[in-house]
Amino acid sequence: MAEIGRVSVRLPSSIKQGDVIRVRTLVIHPMELVQRDKQSKIIAKNYHFIHTMTVSFNGKEIMRSEMTQAISQNPSFTFPLKVDRAGKLTVTFSDTAGKSYEGQAEVKFS
Amino acid sequence: MNRVLSIDLKCTRRTFMGIAAAAVGLTAAFERLFSNGFVFAQTNTSGLPLPDEPVDATIKRLFGNRTISLGEGRIKLELPLIAEDGGNVGITVETNLPTSGPTHVSTVYLISDKNRLPMLAKFSFTPESGKAFIATSVRLATTTDVRAIVEMNDGTLYGVSRHVRVTISGCDLPPAG
Repeated sequence: MAEIGRVSVRLPSSIKQGDVIRVRTLVIHPMELVQRDKQSKIIAKNYHFIHTMTVSFNGKEIMRSEMTQAISQNPSFTFPLKVDRAGKLTVTFSDTAGKSYEGQAEVKFS
Repeated sequence: MNRVLSIDLKCTRRTFMGIAAAAVGLTAAFERLFSNGFVFAQTNTSGLPLPDEPVDATIKRLFGNRTISLGEGRIKLELPLIAEDGGNVGITVETNLPTSGPTHVSTVYLISDKNRLPMLAKFSFTPESGKAFIATSVRLATTTDVRAIVEMNDGTLYGVSRHVRVTISGCDLPPAG
């Protein structure tokens, strides 16, 4: 898993002004599961998973998501975005190891 | 002489084990104390495991005693009828509730009834989203009902649920050690 934290953001091929587009994003991450011992007691340790996703468009936060370990490995998300003007879309994932991973896409009209 | 020594040794070992057990108990108690604090903090950003929770407790914690109205016709929740791999179940929530205007969608919760921690994820929307829609993939522990609950900015709640049959659990790891 050398590439933990690789984020890809996909936009539709043609975007018109005023559309509500669907943005697909994917992040490579193990989303570590809670481990239990034989008595099914939780083993206490720091688990490595993504807890927050924020989406900002032209610097303004437009969506925030909080998640748990119940999101599967290498998670993908599809979310809506209303494009009234062109700009830069940034998707940021933060995980419990204190790192944050960022993906960017340029929203242009075609 | 030898016998005395061995008894002595056993004794110290026993006392040691007793102390060790007490220490473990104390640690567990502390852990419970701390993790209970985290339950009310919505999400656990530290990476420490949270205690198990029944779904009623989750709903009470998130929404209090507010009633959840039926959202059929307003919310579309798409899930496979049978999920072969519980570790990766595609889920799509789509609503025709407005995301702008006086009353708009503020948050969408995904809740699975039989997961040990029923709240899977929450997504907050703003008027810039244009539409409340989310698609992702989740882990389901066993055959269960999955709910999508939409919270409006005035506190109104709409919920729908779907039944999913899960063939292989997505949450069970072989016990460590």
